[in-house]
Amino acid sequence: MSSTESPSSVRKVVVHLRATGDAPILKQAKFKILGTDKFAKVIDFLRRQLHRETLFVYVNSAFSPNPDESVIDLYNNFGFDGKLVVNYACSMAWG
Amino acid sequence: MDVSSWDGTLSPHEFSIAARTLAHEWKRFNPAFPPWTWVPSQNRLGLASHNVCYLVDGYLTLEKLCIHGGPSEIHMPSQEEKVYEEIYTEKEELSDNATLVESNSCELHFYDFHIVYSAAYRVPVLYFRVYSIDGQPLVLDELKDLPACSEKLLLESKWTFITQEEHPHLNRPWYMLHPCGTSEWMKLLFSSDASLAKKGVVVELYLVSWLSVVGQVVGLTIPFELLNCLKSSLLSCCKQDAG
Repeated sequence: MSSTESPSSVRKVVVHLRATGDAPILKQAKFKILGTDKFAKVIDFLRRQLHRETLFVYVNSAFSPNPDESVIDLYNNFGFDGKLVVNYACSMAWG
Repeated sequence: MDVSSWDGTLSPHEFSIAARTLAHEWKRFNPAFPPWTWVPSQNRLGLASHNVCYLVDGYLTLEKLCIHGGPSEIHMPSQEEKVYEEIYTEKEELSDNATLVESNSCELHFYDFHIVYSAAYRVPVLYFRVYSIDGQPLVLDELKDLPACSEKLLLESKWTFITQEEHPHLNRPWYMLHPCGTSEWMKLLFSSDASLAKKGVVVELYLVSWLSVVGQVVGLTIPFELLNCLKSSLLSCCKQDAG
């Protein structure tokens, strides 16, 4: 690899946050985030915005990504139309 | 059948289809991991034959998955311990080397995971147990290798997240992830993608999608390629059926 970083690692990804179930809609639903950031950053952002500790966050293809995944990897696999759609719901219960 | 009227549950038969798909795809995309294996259940005593239709004829297992204790768990001998070790070996010629080696090596934990169908909730349930290298079972409070979010949740909801229950096929105490909410979030998961609106696709993908959520609790991840390849092959099958 060359000394400069590959374009994909510095690339920004547009994340579209979409409310599902009983979740409130955000005033601003689209964000740009560094591709190198972890998905955990998106989850933390949602937690802060919605003042909720337990959230159910998932992408299309019926898949809930691990918080450790990088945003660019998710975009490359699940991105569509230049953005990564992230769905969130407030009801996440185990038992 | 349309997914919009689907309640997020599976029939016993659908569970065994989903289980075989997961086992097959896992082996293909995760060859370095222990495989998911279908274990046919033994006929249990006291079960009348008229109950059989409610039962699944087996369950999925993934066993002896070795997880190193997190970085904090890797035990480096401190200066004091080294000194102690030297003195000890000098004095005791018949010292037990095996014990010494073990105390200085990083702690290895082995996980057994079982996916068992719950007839009451009509969803898969994750059962697991953890043991150290010598076979000693570990209790949940001692585990330091669960993801941080799970440890937090364990403290907050002691009785509604992971508890020890009787394993339905083995009749021994195993840890179990509570299934009450499963059908609700499974329904949400599948409502996110219009292309998956066919029931057959849902059944085949069910356990893979389910594991993407449940795996996070115990630190199991699913390769993206597995999901993408499975999804596209299922969708192309659907198109052929329709054509």
